[in-house]
Amino acid sequence: MTSVIETSGLTKTYGAVRALDGLSLSIPRGGVYGVLGPNGAGKSTLFRILLGLIRPTAGEVRVMGQPAGDPAVTRRMGSMIETPRYPPYLTARQALRWLALAHGMGAEAETDRWLARVGLTEAADRKVRGFSVGMMQRLGVAAALMTRPDLVILDEPTSGMDPPGIQEMRSLIRSLADDDGVTVVLASHQLLEVQRVCDRVAILNRGKLAAEGKVSDLTASGERLRLSATPLAKVMAVLGERGSVQDDAVMASIPRAEAPALLRALIEQGVDIDEARWVGADLESVFMTETSSVEGDRP
Amino acid sequence: MMLADAIRAETWRLLQNRTALLWSIVFVPVVGLAASIAGNLFIDDKISAVRDRLPSQLRLERGTLDLGQALLEAAGNLANPALLAFLLIGAASVFAGDYRWETWRLITARNSRPNLIMGKAGAVKLIVLAGLLLMLAAAVIGAVAKGLIFGNSFVFHFGAETAQSFGLMFLLAFVRVVQFLLLALLAATVTRSMLAALFVPLVIGVAQAFLAKGAPLLGWQMGDWPTMLLFPGDAYEVLKALIQGGMMAAVLPDGAGWRAVAGLALWSFAPFFMALWWFRRQDLSKE
Repeated sequence: MTSVIETSGLTKTYGAVRALDGLSLSIPRGGVYGVLGPNGAGKSTLFRILLGLIRPTAGEVRVMGQPAGDPAVTRRMGSMIETPRYPPYLTARQALRWLALAHGMGAEAETDRWLARVGLTEAADRKVRGFSVGMMQRLGVAAALMTRPDLVILDEPTSGMDPPGIQEMRSLIRSLADDDGVTVVLASHQLLEVQRVCDRVAILNRGKLAAEGKVSDLTASGERLRLSATPLAKVMAVLGERGSVQDDAVMASIPRAEAPALLRALIEQGVDIDEARWVGADLESVFMTETSSVEGDRP
Repeated sequence: MMLADAIRAETWRLLQNRTALLWSIVFVPVVGLAASIAGNLFIDDKISAVRDRLPSQLRLERGTLDLGQALLEAAGNLANPALLAFLLIGAASVFAGDYRWETWRLITARNSRPNLIMGKAGAVKLIVLAGLLLMLAAAVIGAVAKGLIFGNSFVFHFGAETAQSFGLMFLLAFVRVVQFLLLALLAATVTRSMLAALFVPLVIGVAQAFLAKGAPLLGWQMGDWPTMLLFPGDAYEVLKALIQGGMMAAVLPDGAGWRAVAGLALWSFAPFFMALWWFRRQDLSKE
């Protein structure tokens, strides 16, 4: 697995605040990679360093094998950091045309095609000063993709969008990775969306790496056996601390190998089992666990 | 190529900003032309009233108007305070726009920072060129209108000597205006503020003009090193006088021209390179 981004001991401080604290991370080439974390976790700082907008205080960072910020590398990247803004007197089409010129592109930028792909064809000749946050996001994504980058960095790409817009954006991001071979690195607070669109994720907390891996692995590690049974008290008596009651069912945190023995024990205790099924942890619960545990470790 | 991209993108973006263009390069020539025509119509009206009462033998002959000379005079008055002040609007929009609209992040990834700053300076030089040409066009139209109002006949004497003076005067005005506007580049880069880009050059310019008036009290004469290095406006006047010749040129000390060139160069290159140095190390985490 080759890496498109490698950081080692990456640290960035703003005065007394450590936005990144010795972050070591390897992001593989290809696919969609999610960077998660609560506000202030260091996601945007990481992205800004990758794009050469700011310099790290310490540590190393390489993007596509070159130091971050090297124009030879950044020319192969597309990005949208937070909600993008544009000169208010430009229309959406003019904004893309301006950026195409700034990037040394002419007609090959295919601005109209990208406006259509993000659903802005009808608003192409409207001044951006009247755009909603969601429309700005769409325009930002079009600007990031217009240059046909090998690596795209998107910070909160679905922020401010309505549900259909979020669904369209998810499809677009997936098709970039699957059809165009682009590596997409995104940050989002919408964990369900991340779970649906990302192949791997890194969870940051207070500038440190709290967890990293395939989405399926991270969620599998938290899978539990959901038991609909009566009486619940007897089930809890058998499970002890490994069980918890949720919505008229017991969630059992046990390895799969122990399930047959558990079920036999419950039947012997006279428990009526209506349903027993494995439930994977969602990314939200992984996120909450990882971010709260690291926080708890700090003085 | 990347520098050309930066200049092209900046210039194209500015062309879409019609408000900035109107105020920076169209307003002064148009208002100046309108005022000139209105003033000449008023004078003609007053003169006509008097002339009609004079006996015919006392009436003045209607003279000729040399449009070549009018062009040369206009070139000598190009770098006037009104044009400097209004061109600042366009320059501030170019120099501080990416801070105000938080758009640096959109363009810094694909071009080097020196190229981006030089691209802005290049776009501003094109505005200046357009502004000066419009001023000249307005001056010529104003001269033609004046001739028509007063019934003059027209001639156009523009020999080699006049052409050389005109070329030098135009170049000098261009350098002086660009020098003044580069103060806005430095102010915008350091403060990240559009207002600072507008007002810092104005404050510096006004302060220099006032201090220059008091220079003789310190024993500094026009053309001396202190006046030439401290007051680029004076340096411009010295070079203009040397091109035009005449009384003022005759009383300037030896070497005043070179000192004036040094002064204008200092006030042009120093703000530019300071802005470039600052921008290269600037944290653009928040524009």
